[in-house]
Amino acid sequence: MRMLRRLLLRLGQAIPVILVVAVLAFFLMHLLPGDPAAVIAGPEAGAEAVERIRRQLGLDRSIPEQLLVWLWHLAQGDFGTSIIHNQSVLQALADRMPVTASLTLVAFAMTIPIGIVLGVAAAKFRNTWVDSAVMLMALIGVSVPGFWIAILSVILFSVTLGWLPASGYVPLSEGVWPWLRALIQPAAMLALFQIGFLARMARSATLDVLDQDYIRTARAKGVSEWRTIAKHAFRNTLIPVVTTTGIILSLLMGGSVVIEQVFAMPGVGRLIVQAILTRDYPMVQGTLLALAFLFVAINLMVDIVYTWVDPRVRYD
Amino acid sequence: MVNPRRTALLLGTALVAGGLALASGPAMAQKKGGSLVYANVSAVGTMDPHVAAAVVDLETIHHVYEGLVEMGEDYRAAPMLASKIDISPDGRTFTFSLRKGVKFANGKEMTAADVIASFERYKKVSPNAPALGDVAGMETPDPYTFVIKLNKPNSLFVEVMKTPTYSFAILPAEQKDKPARDPDLVGIGPYVVSEWARDSHLVLKRNDNYVADESAKGPDGYAGKKTAFLDSIRYNSVPEANTRVAALQTGGADFIGALPGDVAKRLKGRTDISVLSVIPFCQATFISHAKNFTNRSVRQAVSMLIDSEEMMEAAGQVWDRNPSLMFKPSYYFSDVGAAMYDQHSVDKAKALLKAGNYAGQKVVLETNTNYAYMRDSSQVLVEQMKKAGINVELKMVDWTTNVGDLSKGTGGWDMTITGLCSGPLLGPQQWRLSLAFAQNPDDPVVTEGYAKMFATTDAAERKKIWMGIEKYFIEEGYMMKVADIADLRGMNDKFVGIKPYYMQRFWDVWKK
Repeated sequence: MRMLRRLLLRLGQAIPVILVVAVLAFFLMHLLPGDPAAVIAGPEAGAEAVERIRRQLGLDRSIPEQLLVWLWHLAQGDFGTSIIHNQSVLQALADRMPVTASLTLVAFAMTIPIGIVLGVAAAKFRNTWVDSAVMLMALIGVSVPGFWIAILSVILFSVTLGWLPASGYVPLSEGVWPWLRALIQPAAMLALFQIGFLARMARSATLDVLDQDYIRTARAKGVSEWRTIAKHAFRNTLIPVVTTTGIILSLLMGGSVVIEQVFAMPGVGRLIVQAILTRDYPMVQGTLLALAFLFVAINLMVDIVYTWVDPRVRYD
Repeated sequence: MVNPRRTALLLGTALVAGGLALASGPAMAQKKGGSLVYANVSAVGTMDPHVAAAVVDLETIHHVYEGLVEMGEDYRAAPMLASKIDISPDGRTFTFSLRKGVKFANGKEMTAADVIASFERYKKVSPNAPALGDVAGMETPDPYTFVIKLNKPNSLFVEVMKTPTYSFAILPAEQKDKPARDPDLVGIGPYVVSEWARDSHLVLKRNDNYVADESAKGPDGYAGKKTAFLDSIRYNSVPEANTRVAALQTGGADFIGALPGDVAKRLKGRTDISVLSVIPFCQATFISHAKNFTNRSVRQAVSMLIDSEEMMEAAGQVWDRNPSLMFKPSYYFSDVGAAMYDQHSVDKAKALLKAGNYAGQKVVLETNTNYAYMRDSSQVLVEQMKKAGINVELKMVDWTTNVGDLSKGTGGWDMTITGLCSGPLLGPQQWRLSLAFAQNPDDPVVTEGYAKMFATTDAAERKKIWMGIEKYFIEEGYMMKVADIADLRGMNDKFVGIKPYYMQRFWDVWKK
């Protein structure tokens, strides 16, 4: 009960954060030069045509007036309507969230085991070729631009080998394998950076733990090395790793912006990129707000998992 | 002149241009069935024909909607839903006899009531509503006749109506009060919308209620007798050019648009894939801001610095030389701009600067990061301007900012560059909006010139007036033409009947 109250309190504390995000998103978008009416009117339209569209969209009102109208609608649960797509922002998000969620979760499912295993292995075989190989891979993972490696991957795995589709998304409703097949390549590219990040983190955490007295005690008692690592070291290694996974999940969602663009996946990331490019104010503002909600929720989940991994941490 | 880049493409792939027929023999047998996947740079934003201006939207819209007239294969106005057009001798009354038995996709027959309702809606919602500003009245004397009366003569009014941008498409009368961008998707064209995931894909399927214009021999541009052979056409949004090419190579797409010249090279060696070059597609033109960039001699000096080849080659663009603000197939094409075209002369520029008492005032050249030919041409020009001693500042913004500044004259630019497409192709009536880019729409040369042009029924006289306007814009240094540029598209050769055209069409296209 106490924990529930604590969680509700945390959620309540998130409201001002989200409100600040909302207002910031509004002002940042309106500070950008460019005019969505000009995008809609097309490159060959004159000032009169652009002005006519501005009036139709209510963009001729003052900025404070537009902000108040938007906040008023927001208070009623109305995130607004996309200027470019003439579609409810919430509907647009609902349509695209399954794509981004699928991509993020598959990438997450690749990142966590691979990153941890590589990190632990590097720590176990510290200063050997295994350690060097893992750290080299991690370095490449965090250094190579995702956009570039994704294009190379498409040329190799889709065009040359023909193993995987070059672009697009298949909904889960059309079957698990078609869904997964469309996701493997983009998710792997998305996970690449995070695997490198997590492997370095897991290596460092494992090395710290392996130097602890209780590990030395376990070894002194004759416990096998793998059992020492699996039973005694691993859970303690997980404590900093769990904190990292929350960040990784958020970063994966952020990284989907680039990957969705390259693989033509109709997710939230691509939605927000296109909305920024076309100055679709309601769409950018609404999407940023929804993402702020999501990040708060992810952080909360991480806190809960933290208490499970480390019983010393309690909300009461 | 042979463009080396175009030559390279010709060597590498089967390049189709200029209406060249595709495969022949037994494979040519027309048959219904199959579907085509078209991957293009962005998604369909709106299906409202009265407000749509983006090429991606228009290519889809013209499969679903039709107007009284449409642009023909030669880009002149051709009747579509009208069987006959009578123009009164004074050029003020236009009587459209409608084709009988034409049905909307919902099965309802189109009558004059739908036509007048569509025009009423157009006046309310379209950014191009000023095109109907001189309409004194509209009448429907019987269900198959629609009459428009103008306050003053306009001999180009039918040409105005062929515009694919802000199309004068006919919608069912029930759509009259539908707001902009939100009509029900009920048209008259050979296809109907069956699925639309915004920002992702749109699927068209054959319109079983479509009534083709049997009086025509076959398809004629966006008019004529259209036959929907393909069961469906899927438009996918694939923003990244490399991914579009990969989709074409792997069978994920059958047709791709907006193919950069350098990326197209990756299609070399594929015997089952062709590169379709549509040229002229747009023209790259620098524009001066009449209110900001007031020194005529300096504007002319900048004109003298344009080096078409260097600019286009820097951008890797497939291009063609053309001094005119009109494309070569156009009736209005002339060489009035030749004297100032592609001079690339620093000496001439310096002489003009001296004559204009140029004292180092800053010239702001705005360009954008999104279009390589605009960005690279601007960078080349900036270097030339520096060589001539002009104090120039290159202002790099994104396309959305650039196009907004261009339309409204904001952003503090003296010069900018853009791609002008439909005006040079469709005639002076289409050019009119773009001339306002120079931020002097009330310039008497333009207003009086257009009034005279619309008033005369003599085509030769109209051309002469247009040439006067064009010469004025070029000689004043308001418009500095760089080159005509191509649009490259990639296609799988299993489809027959695809021809180069300004905007892609897939009726009368079938699968082998």
